[in-house]
Amino acid sequence: MEAFEKALDSVIKLLRLVGASALVLMMLITCADVLFRGFDHPIIWAVDTVGFMAVLALACAMPYTQTEGGHVGVDLLVLKMSPRGQAIIDAITGTVSMVLFGVVSWQMWRYARELASKGEVSMTVQIPKAPFIYAVSVCFGILCIAILAGVIRNVGKAVEE
Amino acid sequence: MSPTYIGILGIILLVAVFFTRMPVAYVMTLVGFLGFSYIISLKAGLNLMARDIYDVYSSYGLTVIPMFVLMGQLAFNAGIGRKLYDCAYAFLGNIRGGLAMATVAACCAFGTVSGSSPGTAATFAVVGLPEMKRYGYGNKLASGAVASGGGIGMLMPPSVVMIVYGILTEQSIGKLFVAGILPAIYISVLFMVAIAVYAWYSPNEGPAGEKATWRARFRSLTKLADTLVIFGIVMGGLFIGWFTPGEAGAVGAFGVLMTALAARTLTWQGFVKSCYETLRTSCMILLLVAGAVIFGHFLAVTRIPFELANWVAGLNLPHWAIICMIIFVYLVGGCFIDALALIMLTIPVFYPVVSNLGYDPIWFGVIIVLVTQMGVITPPVGINVYVVSGIDKSIPLEDIFIGCLPFLFALILGTLLLVFFPETVTWLPNKMY
Repeated sequence: MEAFEKALDSVIKLLRLVGASALVLMMLITCADVLFRGFDHPIIWAVDTVGFMAVLALACAMPYTQTEGGHVGVDLLVLKMSPRGQAIIDAITGTVSMVLFGVVSWQMWRYARELASKGEVSMTVQIPKAPFIYAVSVCFGILCIAILAGVIRNVGKAVEE
Repeated sequence: MSPTYIGILGIILLVAVFFTRMPVAYVMTLVGFLGFSYIISLKAGLNLMARDIYDVYSSYGLTVIPMFVLMGQLAFNAGIGRKLYDCAYAFLGNIRGGLAMATVAACCAFGTVSGSSPGTAATFAVVGLPEMKRYGYGNKLASGAVASGGGIGMLMPPSVVMIVYGILTEQSIGKLFVAGILPAIYISVLFMVAIAVYAWYSPNEGPAGEKATWRARFRSLTKLADTLVIFGIVMGGLFIGWFTPGEAGAVGAFGVLMTALAARTLTWQGFVKSCYETLRTSCMILLLVAGAVIFGHFLAVTRIPFELANWVAGLNLPHWAIICMIIFVYLVGGCFIDALALIMLTIPVFYPVVSNLGYDPIWFGVIIVLVTQMGVITPPVGINVYVVSGIDKSIPLEDIFIGCLPFLFALILGTLLLVFFPETVTWLPNKMY
């Protein structure tokens, strides 16, 4: 279990690094585009690339946001329960979320395959779309594993109490 | 079962599942998917979910959000808040309650580089709160001013709430931004009046500080320079049409980064932290948007928004009464759900109602931000209050909520005035666009 959590943690940190790099690149490419456009030399590939960088940054951020508890929820009622009750509720909602995003990951993979077979590319410089959608699918898969780790922890808590 | 009936069941299920503390974004995705699949078909539901999420992630319009969040994060970690506070302090510090007023003024100024209200509140919980405590300010006034003043950060452009509203309702983000400027200044003034009244009744809560010389005051104005330049470039460039809102965000973030590097106020750790925080916040917001889009598609096939709009139009109530009812819904709902989540959830329902009544969508955008501002300081889930208490643990949560009350009244009053005089909001954007 410890080895699993450790491996998961390093994967999440790696994704976070990729996401942050994509974010900084988005900023730099956009600024360069604005600047060069001022001199009548717009960067043709800027808009397409920034779009894909955004996809990458957001997808890579999902497991990290999940483990950091970055999402907003309504915890008024749950906080009034016993620690055991809280762990049980969290384990149940975690399992539901896991199944949900498992389905999303699977559908995203199918969507990517569909676009790959059609050979869909971006508007201006014809970058293939499919690899990025595959990446989103993989990130949703890793999100599922991150949620699973939380579920296991909560089940452990519920049994212990 | 008629689609409308299924829609109502869906909304009930949604609210019920919210209370399990499952992330709001996940719940909207789940219920939206289930409902859509039930009404149309499972295959359609599965297709819809993947496509909606990818469309949101890859939408060029939404790249605005990470860029403006990054700009605010960099400004926070580079200590821009400190400079703005010093300047406001030099001018207002010597009057009763003046330090709290300086906090509000600095929040308004910081709003020009930050689009988020918890971000602004966090900045001044670090910068303004210790200063007020040093001068013997009461916990309630000091923390209330920081938590409430933080809300101005999202009214003053850039504003994450306005971007989300603009995208969900297909309104011009530039126009929304311009519309926020005057109300932000006006709400800041109302807040200062609230502080003056408060300090008048309980002088011990907000004693006067030292008086700065005029020389020192003028010198402090130079500290505003870089913020003003960045704001001028971002808003000016957006308005003249040099760049799109997304580009404005990138240019602003780069501008803040450059000024911080030149002044040597941003460390490498600060930079990395800004990037990671931006990832987290942007991911949270965009998954909410994706959830809202999926849920919105479900609502659209149930026809609830249209039925509701028609029903309200048939009520024969004066328009202002309907707007007040909507504001009331937000005020109550904002107590339970995170303000941004509430907006995304309700915009598909309320927006058709409001535009059906003939109101200006830009004006409604500003009203939405104002009610969100109320949501971030009302118990039990006022995010700004939690941000302030997270930074200064010595102040009890109840004290901060009580401290926010005068500001809440000022906000309600201010919002009502804007409801009855909508021209105050629409005048500037109509003049400029």
